Amino acid sequence: MNLREIRILYGRELRSALRERTIVFNTILLPVFLYPVILWAMFTALTFIQGRNEGFTSRVALVAALPSPHPVLAESLRADANLSFWNGETTSAGGFVGISGDRAAIPVVDSAAAHALLRNRELDAVLLFTEPDGEAAALAGNFEARILFDRAIDRSRRARDRVSGRIDDYRAGWLAREAERMGLSEAEQVRFAVRQDDVSTGEDLGAFLLGQMISLFLVIMVALGCFVPSVDTTAGERERSTWETLMTVGAARRSVVVAKYLHVATLGILAGSLNVIALFISIGAVLRPLLSGVGAAADTISFQIPLAAWPMMIVGAVALALFFSAAMMILAAFARSFKDGQAMVQPVYWMVFLPLLLGSQTDATLTPALASIPVANVSMMIRDAVNGVFLWPLIAQTLAVTLGTIVLCLVSARAILGFEELMTGAYDGSFWRFLKDRAWRGRRAKA
Amino acid sequence: MAWSKGEGMTPRPAVDVRDLRKSFWDEGRGEVRAVDGLSFTCHPGEVFGLLGANGAGKTTTLRMLSTVLRPTGGSARVMGHEVQEAPERVRRSLGFYSASTALYPRLNGRETLEFFARINGYPEERVRGRVQSLIDRFGIGEYEKARVEKLSSGMKQKVSIARTIAHDPPVLIFDEPTVGLDVLNALEMVQVIRELRDEGKAILFSSHIMSEVEKLCDRIGIVHRGRLLALGTLDELREATGLHYLEDIFVSHVTAAEGLAGSELVEGDAGGEEGGTGVEAAD
Repeated sequence: MNLREIRILYGRELRSALRERTIVFNTILLPVFLYPVILWAMFTALTFIQGRNEGFTSRVALVAALPSPHPVLAESLRADANLSFWNGETTSAGGFVGISGDRAAIPVVDSAAAHALLRNRELDAVLLFTEPDGEAAALAGNFEARILFDRAIDRSRRARDRVSGRIDDYRAGWLAREAERMGLSEAEQVRFAVRQDDVSTGEDLGAFLLGQMISLFLVIMVALGCFVPSVDTTAGERERSTWETLMTVGAARRSVVVAKYLHVATLGILAGSLNVIALFISIGAVLRPLLSGVGAAADTISFQIPLAAWPMMIVGAVALALFFSAAMMILAAFARSFKDGQAMVQPVYWMVFLPLLLGSQTDATLTPALASIPVANVSMMIRDAVNGVFLWPLIAQTLAVTLGTIVLCLVSARAILGFEELMTGAYDGSFWRFLKDRAWRGRRAKA
Repeated sequence: MAWSKGEGMTPRPAVDVRDLRKSFWDEGRGEVRAVDGLSFTCHPGEVFGLLGANGAGKTTTLRMLSTVLRPTGGSARVMGHEVQEAPERVRRSLGFYSASTALYPRLNGRETLEFFARINGYPEERVRGRVQSLIDRFGIGEYEKARVEKLSSGMKQKVSIARTIAHDPPVLIFDEPTVGLDVLNALEMVQVIRELRDEGKAILFSSHIMSEVEKLCDRIGIVHRGRLLALGTLDELREATGLHYLEDIFVSHVTAAEGLAGSELVEGDAGGEEGGTGVEAAD
């Protein structure tokens, strides 16, 4: 292998690539800016939606009166500023009209009309109090509250929670008063209590969040970084009629292919690395304000990556880039135009997400089975490393599987490029058609 | 100094093609013989023209010589290197120019010339000097820093010729070089080829434009359906056919070949060693 040739060809490829707007956008700008912008937009939107939903007044209809011994509950429901009870009338458009006046009692409205309004989404919940059945019926003043709501609507679920919360609070107060009346101390009332203590530190929580994000974004960004260059260096060359120019230069074909391969992998690694750095720098600024108040660990959250995880991420990015480059270039080599190339390579890009789903269980670490699945294994390996978990035998298995996949791709590429019509760009078909043609011809030849 | 038959003193031709064949499989037509036993030579300081209609096999022949395609039979040597045995050496010995060999649009003129000089094995320490001399020779200086994609077609043509000879190869292949060029650019192209011939380059030139071949080529091979129908200087071809214009000579050969299906038209020993100039029909 002539290293001088490879260096010259590689330099030419890289120089051309970094002057192409689409490649610069996908390889540099997107990895650096996309993640923080997406994350910021996502959390801002969530906060906005959450705030908007919390700001809504829940529209409730009472269709069966509250039993008389519970005026405090009635007052509590009526006084809740987040609840508005239907007065039984509708607007001209058939909309909800709430009771007015601070002292107005909650009216009992027609059940059928309330159900109709609930179905039309003009009402968020229907509340009715009924006599309990069986043994519960013997208890004086007991009642059963039923809440009708629409699970498909967030606003309706929120109305259920609000009404339910009011009744729960009332029950707790009532039980406390009853216990006191029976001479039970507070300690005796709160027996068999459950207390929860979060032992995670701010570093643990930060590493957990970083691990989730880096393992996901690194895979996506490396694939994205390889995507356009792999098409540009194969189908793009054909479209620009520079492929034949390259075929007539005095370098070995192998040098041409190796230089192209290394250039695509380089851009994939660049995209992945830039993304990790952008993620690492910006995640604190984006997430810390959003997580404040969630818990003690969240309040002291710190985003640090263990030193030993960095080499693991680099190895992972290189392995992913070499795999994606090989797989994408094999498919793109069949295309005769950039557009065709994009269409042919697209499936590989989307296939990236399938193994990622396997590794999306937040508490899972590498297992022998997961370590056998390309892409997912590297993603998991990186996540473990960021969390400070290093399962060396499984890491070795992961790297061996990835290396094997890369070698398989390269051997396939070598075999495919051995066909003259492909090397010269004369073949007019896709990778799948090529396989079908060759298999069919092979069978026919044997027959 | 144009090569002539009497001056062909070079013991070894720059290009030596013997019984060259290329067949490929086509789903609709079955086995297609694109090149069917071509033999010819080209010497330093000579422009050898391959004249033929579209689909005659000219480009396939030149692609085999430039090692883009692999021959299915026969042999071809460029500066003594066999195309199948030493393809890299062959490619380093020649410059290939055709309408389908475009320039890298995102490199500028100087970068383009430096890249092609280096990758074709031109000595590293002399690359800058060589590139500067080409820039001066073709008047590229004014736009040497502009990306190729921004250049006019005339400017691109100059850069393209310069990149073809960037590594100073002894053999040059021009495959239909004037296709798509306006009259002035086509004339300029012809003039450059003449100059290169005078510098001692062995030039293979393919075209279907009779006037260009007439003006430029020292010897002409008429190709039809992958076979060489006639070979010689223009005067020799005129003498053999009794016709004056190359167009008439070409048509007469093609008509004869089409009319004598199953027969073989040979020029001297065009199917093997070249030499004679007469054209005759053989059984």
